[in-house]
Amino acid sequence: MSTGVTIFRCKGCGAALFPQRLLCPSCHGTAFDEAQVHEGVVEEIAVIRHMIGQENWQPRRIANVRTTGGPMLTVGLRDEAAEGALIELFQEEGALFGQAKSA
Amino acid sequence: MYSAAIIGAGQSAYTRRPAPGQSTHTFIRDAVVAALRDAEIDARDVHGMAVASFSLAPDTAVDLAWKLGLSLRWLLQDTNGGSSAMNMLGHALRGVDSGAADVILVIGGDATGLAGYGKIAANYNIATRDHLAPLGHGGPNGVYALVASRQMKKYGLAKSDYGHIAIAQRAWAAKNPFAVYRTPLTMEEYLAAPMVADPLSRYDCVPVVAGAQAIVIAHPDRAPRGRPPVRVRAHRASFNYDNQAGDGLQTGISTFASDLWQRAGVAPRDVDVASIYDDYPSMALAQLDDLGFIPDHDLARFCRRDIGEQRRPINTWGGMLSAGQPGGPAGGLNAISEAVLQLQGRAGERQVANARLAVATGYGMTMYRYGGTAAATILERGE
Repeated sequence: MSTGVTIFRCKGCGAALFPQRLLCPSCHGTAFDEAQVHEGVVEEIAVIRHMIGQENWQPRRIANVRTTGGPMLTVGLRDEAAEGALIELFQEEGALFGQAKSA
Repeated sequence: MYSAAIIGAGQSAYTRRPAPGQSTHTFIRDAVVAALRDAEIDARDVHGMAVASFSLAPDTAVDLAWKLGLSLRWLLQDTNGGSSAMNMLGHALRGVDSGAADVILVIGGDATGLAGYGKIAANYNIATRDHLAPLGHGGPNGVYALVASRQMKKYGLAKSDYGHIAIAQRAWAAKNPFAVYRTPLTMEEYLAAPMVADPLSRYDCVPVVAGAQAIVIAHPDRAPRGRPPVRVRAHRASFNYDNQAGDGLQTGISTFASDLWQRAGVAPRDVDVASIYDDYPSMALAQLDDLGFIPDHDLARFCRRDIGEQRRPINTWGGMLSAGQPGGPAGGLNAISEAVLQLQGRAGERQVANARLAVATGYGMTMYRYGGTAAATILERGE
């Protein structure tokens, strides 16, 4: 687990993107810098109570998160963070997660 | 107006649980046989074929042609999921118009089974495989649960508003012998159904079935004697309309709706029957709004009055929500074939009186946060 999540910022116009693209959708530039985003605000939550083809599934929560200065992200929630909550983001390989920001 | 027309439609049986020996290929065979019989076309006269399926692999379109005994000079395999049917229709119309083939079969079908569907949903594209599936996102149910939450907040929708769509379509499905769910649904049953991915409950999520659909495209003079061909007044499509940067509450239809209606020379108020791609009620509403069917963008009023009071014939075969979704491609084709039957006066108990004009849509390919493809067509009863 690493603190923050990696997004991609176009070197030409600064557009913030996730996931990575081949060309920037704004200026069609070819070069990107990696950047870290550490927090965001939960806008919507879905509780996944059923998974096709899976038995003994335990409910999981996913969320749509508005990041500060970055793109909208879909993350897994690791706690009971509610809509409107400011959460800290972290990454496990390609998967993005979040949990309520520590006081 | 295209010179080519739709002259026949056919489908296989739909089933939640395929029997031993049934496969994507056998369902497709059944739909092809039904469509050719319906169009009164000999298989030897078919020189073009388009197919879309999530479960045809490792076969491709030419392998299917081989197994169907079709020798072709025009061939297409489409990968646009819920808008594949509409996409193939557009290509087939142009294929006939250009003289590339006189008769083109357009086919969609899948028999993934629930486990197979689960694998497809988790590996839909690289973004899904790498960034969503590891969250346990539940496939498209999870993605559209988030979209539905946004839509409910933005438009002040209650859960019961989606219920009006599910209930109205179930009433239509009761009159469709091919629908897998035909028992009338009450609001109490809808609201009491178990949650699948909050706020989506059982009747908000399209049921996966096995089955196939096919339609036949040709010049109108090839239509069976005494039956009107179905002409296409206009057809438009959109792919990756906003780079996934929006909220998903508008679809790609919003980019071409005015052009579509202008090209067709008609308006939403002129439409007798609407076939709207309905993997989720929220997305059917989004497409209806993009098309201009919802006055003042008041989605709640539209659900309660126009749909709840059955003022508008929408998804008259029951939609995918009640008839079942045999993969997005065949589900989208069902929207077209139902419009064809309605315009030809062949929809049986569910026939809409004097139906002369229909709209059909497709929507799909959930890229990361919502679908990236959409298409629509305006159909009319020919002479």
